[in-house]
Amino acid sequence: MALARAAGQAGPGAALALLWLLVRAAAPPAVCAPGDSGCLRLTVADLFDRVIRHSGRIHSLSTALCAELENRFPPRDNELGKPARRCPTAGMLTPNGKEYAQKIPREELTYVILKLLHAWKEPLSHFNQHIEHHQELPDDSLSKAKQISKMVHELETGIEKVTEKMQLMGIISNSLHGMASSEASGFSSTNEANMMSDSDFIHCFKRDSNKVQCYLKILKCRIMPENSC
Amino acid sequence: MDLRHLLFTLALVCANDSLSSSDDLLRWPQISKCRSPELETFSCYWTDGNLYNLTAPGTIQLLYMKRNDEDWKECPDYITAGENSCYFNTSYTSIWIPYCVKLANKDEVFDEKCFSVDEIVLPDPPVHLNWTLLNTSQTGIHGDIQVRWDPPPTADVQKGWITLEYELQYKEVNETKWKELEPRLSTMVPLYSLKMGRDYEIRVRSRQRTSEKFGEFSEILYVSFSQAGVEFVHCAEEIEFPWFLVVIFGACGLAVTVILILLSKQPRLKMLIFPPVPVPKIKGIDPDLLKKGKLDEVNSILASHDSYKTQLYNDDLWVEFIELDIDDSDEKNRVSDTDRLLSDDRLKSHSCLGAKDDDSGRASCCEPDIPETDFSASDTCDAISDIDQFKKVTDKEEDLLCLDRKDDHESVPTLADTDAQQPHTSTQPERSESWPAFADSTDSASPSVHTQLSNQNSLTNTDFYAQVSDITPAGSVVLSPGQRSKVGRAQCEGCTEQSFTMDSAYFCEADVKKCIAVTSQEEDEPHVQEQSCNEDAYFTTESLTTSGVSLGASMAETPSLEMPVPDYTSIHIVHSPQGLVLNATALPVPEKEFNMSCGYVSTDQLNKIMP
Repeated sequence: MALARAAGQAGPGAALALLWLLVRAAAPPAVCAPGDSGCLRLTVADLFDRVIRHSGRIHSLSTALCAELENRFPPRDNELGKPARRCPTAGMLTPNGKEYAQKIPREELTYVILKLLHAWKEPLSHFNQHIEHHQELPDDSLSKAKQISKMVHELETGIEKVTEKMQLMGIISNSLHGMASSEASGFSSTNEANMMSDSDFIHCFKRDSNKVQCYLKILKCRIMPENSC
Repeated sequence: MDLRHLLFTLALVCANDSLSSSDDLLRWPQISKCRSPELETFSCYWTDGNLYNLTAPGTIQLLYMKRNDEDWKECPDYITAGENSCYFNTSYTSIWIPYCVKLANKDEVFDEKCFSVDEIVLPDPPVHLNWTLLNTSQTGIHGDIQVRWDPPPTADVQKGWITLEYELQYKEVNETKWKELEPRLSTMVPLYSLKMGRDYEIRVRSRQRTSEKFGEFSEILYVSFSQAGVEFVHCAEEIEFPWFLVVIFGACGLAVTVILILLSKQPRLKMLIFPPVPVPKIKGIDPDLLKKGKLDEVNSILASHDSYKTQLYNDDLWVEFIELDIDDSDEKNRVSDTDRLLSDDRLKSHSCLGAKDDDSGRASCCEPDIPETDFSASDTCDAISDIDQFKKVTDKEEDLLCLDRKDDHESVPTLADTDAQQPHTSTQPERSESWPAFADSTDSASPSVHTQLSNQNSLTNTDFYAQVSDITPAGSVVLSPGQRSKVGRAQCEGCTEQSFTMDSAYFCEADVKKCIAVTSQEEDEPHVQEQSCNEDAYFTTESLTTSGVSLGASMAETPSLEMPVPDYTSIHIVHSPQGLVLNATALPVPEKEFNMSCGYVSTDQLNKIMP
């Protein structure tokens, strides 16, 4: 009785406030309207193009750096080099072909990309610190290495944003976070990475950057419904 | 024994050599290359070598192993890629995983190679090359075409699995060297400025974007414009820019322009392009004289220059000229003297007459007894043809000015020294400049002077510069005193003065009159005549006007004067402001009385010269 009386006394103001809050919660976040001229609307395809271009630049940089390092420190003979080439991402399961990349779900492919990028962040920073003490390497190589490290950060941030947008648009489901937490980290410790030579390290990264680029391309193709990917 | 050994080894060597030479060199099987055309499959190729004789044929195997495998596996497909090849399809291909392949024959390993598939990508050549004509030039000689092709069919560029770059090469049919274009991602390329009359060959090759090696070339595309039905102009030779002609015509044009400018009558244009080289030039003076003339001539010409004459009327020179104080060569005295002279000349004259002053800067009218002989000596215009003598004269003349007392002989040399330091040409105009001014002042003072004179016995209280000692080259007249006092003495000496006057170039008629009239005239007359004489000795217009009157009177008074003294009383020519030429109204004076000395022309002669 007392409550009813209190609610009645609160009156229409409270009711209105409550109603407004509910509406706000239910409404989707503000996005640009299709006809809005002042708001630059980027499609997912545009975002993917940018991300793919960025990854392509990373790959070019790493290829050039690898060539420079191999010129300075000639690699050993063409051996399998199991102990020598232990890449930081050696333990990671990644699709090794186009068909596999086409088969796995889009969420998983997205996740693989993000995982790869995340795995390289720390080793790259360590590598940068390591080669800065190198007096033999020219400034050009050092700057390339720094730029690669920076661009990997940027690429990861960009792909996360694209993923959010895709999830927002319902292209991919939101089950990504679950996958991230469940899978154990597949990258080796930094100790093993330090045992590698510089050229081997960058060789590993070059390969992984190529992987990332190819995955992104396939993912873009798969997201667009019109393409027969 | 040794000989046999030797022979045996020799035989063995020869056998070995023969064996090897017959089989050429023993070539081992080698893996020539492994390539993946599309990043999905790959193949490896090898060469057989020449081991067939020694080993069983067909036993060569290609074994491969991936990084994670433990054992070598055999090639899955020996056929698809051709002979001596091994083809790995997509199921056997893992892209970013290191592979190792080895060529083996059971136990013998011939060759081994390790790689990763993404590193061995060599795309197939592009297909379906074709060209279209974009446009032709207006002359019809050149044209642009667009070449387009399709990517290799095996490469899956559509899905973006692989990104390819293309390089186009083209050349004329009969050329040997291919022209290359930059690698590009697009599958169409425009070719500009192809000659329509020639045929071209085009080929394209591709490579993966981040790798360096190119794949094979595509088939050659033949471009022939005649087949397209395009009309063309067959040019036998290429048109090149005629540099030679441009240079020739440019030079000719420039030469013609220069000649026209030189010949043109337009002085302004000529001056603009060929400005005249300035030569040393002084107005009124021949530059040759400057180069070759003697010093005295140069000086005379320079002195006669207009610019010098202007100095005559410079007030500043007054100061220098009036500087008479030998004892005190202070500047202040000069200034004070000038002021005294200009402002208070009457007082001066009074004081002049009254007493001797220590102030030597005043006019020399204050001179007391002046030894005449000195003046006369200085007055004589000796044959001074060069500066030195002139200097002597000028110095002496300055002596006249500076005489304060009788006993200032010592002042004379000192003054002479001080004056000598002054430039000669400047001293002359100074003096002569001061003369007229002095004349003005004295003219005004003269009445008082005359009145006082009459009171005084001494005729030499005031020095009347009544005698023209010389005419400077500048045209100014230099007056000197002298006959005044001489006249006084002439009373005693009689007409010896005549001879004296004869010595000087110029003389005052009044002096002569006095000389003559002394004997007959009273004392007053000479004074009067002096006055008149003095008046007309000062060549000022004022005096002349008065003198004309007075002289007329004097003439009336002295009819007995027979001396043929020219009466310079009328102004003949006024070269204002440079000077006056007076006309002689009396009989012509015998020339012998005048010394034509030092190039100075007497006034008489001037009269005769100038009508």
